[in-house]
Amino acid sequence: MKRLLATVLTAAMVATLFVGCGTNDNGAATTDTKQTETTETAAADDTAAAAEETADAGLAEQAIADRKAAAEASGEYEKIVVSFFDWTGAPAGIDRINEKISEHTRETLGVDVELLIIDSAAYSDDIKLMLSSGEQVDLFSTCGPGYMTCVNNGYCADLEEDGLLDNYGAGLKDLVRADYFDACRVGGTLYGVPPIKDYAIQTAAICIGTEYLEGAGVDVDAFAKDDLGYVKCTWDDIDDIFAKIHEAFPDKTVYSTQDNMLTQGSCVDNIGGDYYGTLLDSANSLKVENVYESEVFKEWCARFYRWNQAGYISGDAMTDKTGASARIKTGSFMAMMACGKPAYQNQISNECGRPMTVFDVGEPFMSSSAVSSFPWCMNQATEDPIAAMQVLEALYCDPVVANLVCWGEEGVEYVVNDDTTINWGPGVDSQNSEYFPNVLWMMPNQYAAHVWEGDPVDVGEQTAKFNDNCPVKSKALGFTWDNGDYAAEFTALKNAYEEYSGKVIYGFVDPETGLKELNDALYAAGLEEYMAAKQAALDEWAKSAGIN
Amino acid sequence: MDKALTKENNKKSLKKRLKRFFPIYIMALPGLIYLFVNNYMPLPGLVLAFKKYNAKQGIFGSKFVGFKNFKYLFKTNDAFIITRNTILYNVVFIIVNTILAVFVAIMLAEMTSRLKKIYQCLILLPFMISMVIVSYLVFGYLSNDNGFINNIVLKALGKEPVFWYMEKKYWPFILTFVMAWKVIGYNSIIYISTILGIDRGIYESAAIDGCSKWKQITKITIPLLKPTVIMMTLLAVGRIFYSDFGLFYQVPQNQGALFAVTNTIDTYVYRGLLELGDMPMASAAGLYQSLVGFVLILAANLAVRKIEPESALF
Repeated sequence: MKRLLATVLTAAMVATLFVGCGTNDNGAATTDTKQTETTETAAADDTAAAAEETADAGLAEQAIADRKAAAEASGEYEKIVVSFFDWTGAPAGIDRINEKISEHTRETLGVDVELLIIDSAAYSDDIKLMLSSGEQVDLFSTCGPGYMTCVNNGYCADLEEDGLLDNYGAGLKDLVRADYFDACRVGGTLYGVPPIKDYAIQTAAICIGTEYLEGAGVDVDAFAKDDLGYVKCTWDDIDDIFAKIHEAFPDKTVYSTQDNMLTQGSCVDNIGGDYYGTLLDSANSLKVENVYESEVFKEWCARFYRWNQAGYISGDAMTDKTGASARIKTGSFMAMMACGKPAYQNQISNECGRPMTVFDVGEPFMSSSAVSSFPWCMNQATEDPIAAMQVLEALYCDPVVANLVCWGEEGVEYVVNDDTTINWGPGVDSQNSEYFPNVLWMMPNQYAAHVWEGDPVDVGEQTAKFNDNCPVKSKALGFTWDNGDYAAEFTALKNAYEEYSGKVIYGFVDPETGLKELNDALYAAGLEEYMAAKQAALDEWAKSAGIN
Repeated sequence: MDKALTKENNKKSLKKRLKRFFPIYIMALPGLIYLFVNNYMPLPGLVLAFKKYNAKQGIFGSKFVGFKNFKYLFKTNDAFIITRNTILYNVVFIIVNTILAVFVAIMLAEMTSRLKKIYQCLILLPFMISMVIVSYLVFGYLSNDNGFINNIVLKALGKEPVFWYMEKKYWPFILTFVMAWKVIGYNSIIYISTILGIDRGIYESAAIDGCSKWKQITKITIPLLKPTVIMMTLLAVGRIFYSDFGLFYQVPQNQGALFAVTNTIDTYVYRGLLELGDMPMASAAGLYQSLVGFVLILAANLAVRKIEPESALF
């Protein structure tokens, strides 16, 4: 029996070896074809360059014509797969939408487009598996796995290789500003295109259910409005309002917590993607400091301690990992903190399932990673980078494609009003819609698509202005850092933070003792070393970028 | 020459056996294929633990970095805590769960009531429940705002509510309790089947000789159960470096304040790599766990062979 088993195993081992060789051969074959392709394009490049200055457009046209000819010959169009996540997994109407998009792109680009939409909980793992296993996915959102992770693992293609972006993505170059492109470069190489969205944030937007404000008799009109149309007020005002709604609705918890006091509630720059070493005054200084010893953090912790003592915070705040807005949707919580932006009122009201009033307590801020947090990338193993680039351009620049990707099919999922805004199609709502990804902020260019009823028609321009006018922009905008060499410290820091932060950030202990505990643990976990490494990388980057 | 002969004989008998048991080998085939695909085919991938992975170059083409990926497991003070937690919890689980499972198995085997089957099902039920659901059952008891213990039990006793998810000292007991509740039903099945396989004649003759029930259990059932207990323990020892991820991650609700008593190798690796998404480091941790597990199972087997040769696995 033993010998038999051994023979079987050996045979199978050998078989796998052959399988391994087989794949290698295939791999070699594809590289070969790729090489020929590149030589061909290079040749075409030369002739085109020799011919005329306007060669760019010609090249793109040529690629489209070639694909159409190939499709006619084979009867099948080349397919480009685009992947991102939504909250519920592949929508019911996905095949219909894919067909609609492809109908259009066959005409314009000579390709079929398939949207591969994955549940948010699974996306991060699934996309990494697909990218490393050679499954077809050509374009993908790095929201989930993370941009730096994808770049470090070598998943992303260089978008400027062989003039890819210049020749086939000219529309993108017009649409996305050069400094935003630069913000996505890692070591000088461009691996991703940022989604067109609000990069600046209005920090510390306290959102309170309008019904609770009315029930407690809070006079919202007495306050002034800020530039975005939200209620401008101070922390003292918020304390007042909380006291009032707490008294009027004693059965409900006042404040729905989440660990966002720094991300959404402060102008601290989480340089390099984490808060272990930050820029406290990023607009003026590139000094990496420990935020957990800073006044900003102390202030927040003191505020939460006060709120917790007053009974505004649930005793289960540390254990309950439900999203802040989802808790408000259940009706047992009344307020939360987020960050504001143009047309935020509609978004947060939808999330919380009730009209919300937004109080603006903070200030506008653009962090170093604001632009590069989740760009759209191209798989390095994509078979036809040119087609993929042209589809990427269409996602950003072609309103037909953008509308289908963002909102679904006109007349089915949505109808267009007279003022070009849109609303639900007949008999459709967010519950039964066959296509409603509800991830507008992740979409390549939500402003190429229609605007939802109730939001300003010019929300795109407002957002661009909001970004441009942001007074506090991080000097380190575009700095990215690969912490791979400090993974041990990072893991230890994260553990230390998780272990000691909960009590102090939700106000269960006096900040005096809680903060000391937290900082001692962080330093023991190697915070100093980690910060020093970050500072060194930042200094080097600043030198090469000419910033001081 | 003798050797050659025996070899010849062996060959013959092997052929004969093959022919005779052919249908049985066929029956085993799906299992063998499964074993091969799942346990042997990924083995070459272990090389990933020594590399800096790059998708462009693939697993085998990536750059060698030696033991760099293992460093993070040992570099910090956490290494001691997670190793201690993993091993101590598993030792406690092995002891407590074995004793309880044998106890339950003997009780059930001795039972003659018609309700026996129902008891057996009920005690097995927790094993079928996912750890995620178990974690919410536990939360139902321990929640600060609405929990059963704080709001009913402690109130009735006139005691102050306890912030369970912030107090480390209770969790070794809670986790041991939850684990025992969940697995003893399942573990006892194997012992029950062994007990049912014991020759009834032995008990009958013991009864005729005037042996009490207690004597029958201590002198017949338990000694005859010993080989099974040893085998199960050996298997458990081999996995002593792995922890039940669900138990240590879900049941304490991934609560930071409890890390000192709930963080094990698996949860530590998961938390670290969730953010980093670094596959080589995950493989390094896996390789380390398997190697230590392998050495431990060899050592345990060696010890058993010294004490009681018949019970050793190999």
